[in-house]
Amino acid sequence: MPVALAWASLKRHGTRTLLAMLGVAVAAAMLLDMVMMSTGMRESFRNLLLSRGFQLRLAPKGTLPFDTDATMTNTSGIVRILRQNPDLTTISPVLGGTIHVLRGDSVITASALGLDPRIQGDYELLSGKDPLAPDEIAGNDEFMRATGARTGDTLAVASGYDPQTREYAGTRRLVLTGTIRFLYGASHQRGAAMRLATLQGMSGPDRSDASSLFMIRVRKGTDVEAAGRWIKERVFTVNVISTESALDQVDERLRYFRQLAVILGSVSLFVGFLLVTTLVTVSVNERIGEIAVMRAIGVSRAHVVQQIVLEGVAISLVGAFAGLLLGLVTGRYLNGILSSFPGLPEAIDFFLFQPKAAWTALGLLALSGIAAGVYPSFRASSLPIATTLRQEAIA
Amino acid sequence: MTTIRSADARSRDEVGERATVVEARGLTRDYSFGKEVVHALCGVTFEIMDGDYVAIVGPSGCGKSTLLNLLGAIDRPTRGSVAINGTDVAQMSDREATSFRLRNIGFVFQRFYLMPTLSARENVELPMAEAGKSRTDRGARAKELLAYVGLAARERHRPSELSGGEQQRVAIARALANRPAILLADEPTGELDARTGAEIIGLFGRLNRDGTTLIVVTHDEELASTAKRKIHMRDGVIVDG
Amino acid sequence: MFNLIVILALLQHAIPRTIAIDERLAADAHLAVGDRVLLSAIPESRTADTVIISAIVKRGTDPAEVARSEYRIRLHLDHLQSLAGYGDRVDRFAVATRGDAATAKALAEINSSAFGFEAHRSKDIAVGTSKTFQVVSRFHKAIGVITIVASAIFLLCIMLLKVEERRRDVAALRLIGISRKTVMRAVVIEAALLALVGSALGVGVGWAGSQFINWYYRGVYRTPLAFSIVTPSIVTLAVALSLVLGIAAGILASLRLVRTPPLVLFGR
Repeated sequence: MPVALAWASLKRHGTRTLLAMLGVAVAAAMLLDMVMMSTGMRESFRNLLLSRGFQLRLAPKGTLPFDTDATMTNTSGIVRILRQNPDLTTISPVLGGTIHVLRGDSVITASALGLDPRIQGDYELLSGKDPLAPDEIAGNDEFMRATGARTGDTLAVASGYDPQTREYAGTRRLVLTGTIRFLYGASHQRGAAMRLATLQGMSGPDRSDASSLFMIRVRKGTDVEAAGRWIKERVFTVNVISTESALDQVDERLRYFRQLAVILGSVSLFVGFLLVTTLVTVSVNERIGEIAVMRAIGVSRAHVVQQIVLEGVAISLVGAFAGLLLGLVTGRYLNGILSSFPGLPEAIDFFLFQPKAAWTALGLLALSGIAAGVYPSFRASSLPIATTLRQEAIA
Repeated sequence: MTTIRSADARSRDEVGERATVVEARGLTRDYSFGKEVVHALCGVTFEIMDGDYVAIVGPSGCGKSTLLNLLGAIDRPTRGSVAINGTDVAQMSDREATSFRLRNIGFVFQRFYLMPTLSARENVELPMAEAGKSRTDRGARAKELLAYVGLAARERHRPSELSGGEQQRVAIARALANRPAILLADEPTGELDARTGAEIIGLFGRLNRDGTTLIVVTHDEELASTAKRKIHMRDGVIVDG
Repeated sequence: MFNLIVILALLQHAIPRTIAIDERLAADAHLAVGDRVLLSAIPESRTADTVIISAIVKRGTDPAEVARSEYRIRLHLDHLQSLAGYGDRVDRFAVATRGDAATAKALAEINSSAFGFEAHRSKDIAVGTSKTFQVVSRFHKAIGVITIVASAIFLLCIMLLKVEERRRDVAALRLIGISRKTVMRAVVIEAALLALVGSALGVGVGWAGSQFINWYYRGVYRTPLAFSIVTPSIVTLAVALSLVLGIAAGILASLRLVRTPPLVLFGR
């Protein structure tokens, strides 16, 4: 019967009920988005970092990977030291640079990564094959479009541009072997990959043995932090970054968004709660007489409270489900805005949907629906019956 | 045939026994309004037997409704006791009083007080649902009671679709749902025109002939005259009856 | 004379060079003016210059540097060039001019004769480097729009509840001859007043929040940058928007009320 009464009461003021559900839906959408944002960035970044199984990264001391133009000289020496540790199963040095594709009178500039295609963790091959030979290169879609080239074409590629003399340190003719997608590439960024030695050779004598980053895979079961400490003690010119410390650094930089997520999420929950509380309170105040009569004919206080709490929960839950759908839509839209951060890897999502987030948001709203109904209903059902009936009769 | 009374009451009928249903001893009710104290009831004592039809009459403010509220356990006396079928309701906790009302007392109000969102049948079923009766049982009983009060064809109508007299008849059917020991009515014809009021008076008469113990508070002389016994009140005390 | 010059040159080399460091480095490394430190371009290098800290400088209010936790050191140009092995090279020149016309003229002349470099207006570079904050700004605006939509719904709901609570009063007024227009006007004025008072409170809360945000994030990022500014135009927009929403909610709610016959409002 409490369910029937609650349903009948909600239907009685259909417009009001619908509006309240809509209000809760918007609050729920915001709450879900904020819950997604507070955990999404970190999870998304973690997934990206671990996508190829590299648990450690080495960058020039005092920097983060590709944060600056700084490089580590003596790459081969560092590799020799790292190979002394059998727990470091894969060592992939990477050099970042700028290349210029010479097409007649025009020059197309693009980012380039020099790496070992057999063990790299920076791109995935979409079509064609990896640039395994010294005179081979692979490019992403933007690179292919900008150069107008296709797989199999030979390109004149230069690097190490000196703006003073307007000369290149090195020029090679490289064969385009395939199309790739950079895992850490920003959207619309032109990029190409080639063998490390090729880019080093083209970049001038200063960079003949340089690298921007090392990506390291450790043996399964090895303590990653211990491996990091081993490297720190032997290679002094590098910054050792484990996945966890990289995530901590990212957290630090994106702290603002996490805090914003917590604040906005709390405000959304409070607004939703306030809306339902206001509605239930007004609804109860309108029905004080009915409630007194129910108590007079023998309906227990618990059942009265139950009926009214059910109304609050119904509004909250229906609103919350609608809000979940709305939240996914608004989350995508907001993600689209934040994903346009310059230099941000395309693969990073700020709003990552995780079922746990949805349940958290739903659960919080259901609880707020219960809380919203408890006090007004308890108060109304505790009023003295005779006095209330008399006051209602006078009114 | 519609059974209005409980099984115990019916078995007493068979052997011609008349039990005391209501026993009020020294009932007093005071109300405080700031520093002022209003003595609404002053030491009222009386008994009502099973099957009685009692009208409590008196001028406005004499304490009739206050007395009815105390008998119905919806208010607590300042002093004194009220026993319904031997159970002292004055000292009950709120939960006990609520449960007692549900199973032993039927209430009819001047303003009907039906649930506007429920149909006539659902209004009658409400106390039975609260008492835990199955959907089938309460549906059947509700139909039976609505037929008894002459509203079998109106069971799906909402209160807003019923006239005043029809609403009051639904309220009476609701009051009888759990076969209460007593039926209390506070100015049941107060909101009705003369003709409709007469219908309700007739219904009350029939209820009493079928064995219901009725206690009615009223200004309506016609209603009071149909009662078997009148209790006159003035200034919070019983002056006659 | 020649010997004197040589002696002076040798003495010059023996006196340590001076540098300026930023206040964060000074605080974190417990450095003060007058301290001597070793400076090198290569980490853990055995060859380094001894320098004296001659000044501690405040960080600039550059948004691009907010999230970066690097320390900044200022050296004399020739010192950095020799330390970093740059030779006679720089990354850029900063040029001040006498006004906008002079800037345009200088830009054209430099770019027509430049060899290996290009001249840009400072404000054009600022636009380019502030893309990150344009994204943040768009994000904030989107959140703002969602908040406004939620507030509008909330406001409408509350107004509906408020007028419903008083439907019997309105019914009585209508029955004694008060016109629909008068009733609507009363409700709308009430809604407008609520919106005004609410927005005044909101501006106060927003201002206080802005102060807190600046205090907090200046501490977190150790920057004098202002993260939040409440300007007259923002206040005007907020107040105007809440007034419009409040009045709209009042109109919609009162329309519902006055369109219902008074007897129905009484529940008959």
